[in-house]
Amino acid sequence: MSEEVKRSLQRIQAPDEIEAQRRAWALVRASFDTREPVAWQKRNRRPLLLVALGLLVLLAAFLSPPGRALVGSVRDAVTPDKNTPKPKPALTALPAGGSLLVNSSKGPWIVHPDGSMRPLGPWWEGAWSPNAEHVAVTKAHRLAALTPDGTLKWALARSKLLHGARWSLEPPSECCRIAYLNGRQLRVVAGDGTGDAPLRDVVGPVAPAWRPAVTRQVAFSTIDGRIELADVDTTKTIWLSAPGDPPMQLVWSDDGRRLLALGERSLRVFDSNGNKLWAIGMPVGPSGVVFVRKSHRFIVIRYSPATQRSDLVLFQAETSPGEPRFLYSAPGDFGTLAISQNGDWLLVGWINANQWLFLRLTSSAKVESVSNIVEQFGGSSEAPLDTAFPKSVSWCCPASP
Amino acid sequence: MVGPGRQERSWIRGARAGSVSDLEALFREHWPRAHRAAFLVVQDAAAAEDIAQEAFLSALRNLDRFDRRRPFGPWLHRIVVNRAIDWSRARALRRELSEVPGSEDFDTGDLGTFSEGVGAGLASLPPDQRAVIVLRYLLEYTPGEIADLLDLPRGTVNSRLRRGLDRLEAIVDRERR
Repeated sequence: MSEEVKRSLQRIQAPDEIEAQRRAWALVRASFDTREPVAWQKRNRRPLLLVALGLLVLLAAFLSPPGRALVGSVRDAVTPDKNTPKPKPALTALPAGGSLLVNSSKGPWIVHPDGSMRPLGPWWEGAWSPNAEHVAVTKAHRLAALTPDGTLKWALARSKLLHGARWSLEPPSECCRIAYLNGRQLRVVAGDGTGDAPLRDVVGPVAPAWRPAVTRQVAFSTIDGRIELADVDTTKTIWLSAPGDPPMQLVWSDDGRRLLALGERSLRVFDSNGNKLWAIGMPVGPSGVVFVRKSHRFIVIRYSPATQRSDLVLFQAETSPGEPRFLYSAPGDFGTLAISQNGDWLLVGWINANQWLFLRLTSSAKVESVSNIVEQFGGSSEAPLDTAFPKSVSWCCPASP
Repeated sequence: MVGPGRQERSWIRGARAGSVSDLEALFREHWPRAHRAAFLVVQDAAAAEDIAQEAFLSALRNLDRFDRRRPFGPWLHRIVVNRAIDWSRARALRRELSEVPGSEDFDTGDLGTFSEGVGAGLASLPPDQRAVIVLRYLLEYTPGEIADLLDLPRGTVNSRLRRGLDRLEAIVDRERR
């Protein structure tokens, strides 16, 4: 019987073995490209003692011609593979088209595909308009609309601190509105700065999220962690969820049929009618979420306090999350996610390493990395990374209806 | 467990030093059996792929701490099989909690060729027994080595092997009749 079992088991193949191997190798390779090797001395503390003892012997050998040849061959064996990519010291180009809007500790910056960068001035944060024609910016009590070259189009001031400005996604012919928070009040103003009015007097602190593909519907959080979808023309509630973990991020799928509410301790997934499809607990720590373009799949940062690593994990926003699929992992904190307009590349902010990682999501996975991110956006290399590292990035352009 | 071959030690040394080609050689040598072992324990293609991937990435993360005088395979297989057992137990628990349809309704599309005879019999075993059968007859470890890999007493391994084989035999006999 045991021989039969052995023969049978060794004949069985896992489905899709070859493709699975190809996918796995791409991930392993990508992870290897960005690993931070342990210092050679630390790794070899014990062998170092033995090596020290042996050095006297080797010294004698080195003096002879055969000894010289031996040393040369050892040096060749431990030289790192010259083809292993290292982080680039500066962002010289984006791997895909479109532009980045980066909210750094020194204000918003625009990064063009060729890597050229422009600060937008002394504002605290910014958000793209559809098609990146304008940027809505806030600082203290002021909200303004700028062109991408920094020209001021209009500005307004309100009594409380303004933040969370988000431009609506209507086509230019109907353009446009900006939802923003005046303290805890949610307000909406037309894209030309007119018609500013409150929508709700007391809401949660998360930035509102316009629903793509449907005009003039905006989602926001109430103070007890409910998610509300409202029609900004009629101000009526379209749906209101049950209370939950107050969200830090609200994200719609491109088709406007799924909404994610990411809180400190949980992730909730809603359909377009406000039904909660599922929810999962999240470990406390750095987090973030982004939808894959034109898809109900999304990528979430999952931090493990036990290992102090951050993972990127793929779920689906359907009636069940499916088996989570592990995409990438690194020690420390991931703090930013942005997906390219064509959906091929994912930007990941790796805070501890002061790097941005660009992960190619298409069939042949690849990782490119750029270091010195804080310094490139005007920050000081002396400042703590968790405060100096850019807080958010959006990759032109938001989903169009 | 025999020590690693000279070739494998060379790949590990090269991978530690940053050589992609050595890493690839190590991967190609060990991936197929790790993936297949995960699949036979969890019987779910997507989960097996994830488990084998995560095991490789975990091994890679710890490569600098790995004692390269020891063979790489058992180190990897320990991660794979333990994760596969955990996953199978968690799935069983989820099924109990959610009362999903019974096995007659379960989609076996992922099982591919693994649908008859020993393969189907293996599917009916508890994960703990599946794991020792896979370690013994696919990966060809001795009971003593399996005990080391799973942190179990050798007697427990032997009894799981015996019970697993008995059940497999009964299932295969029933199918033959």
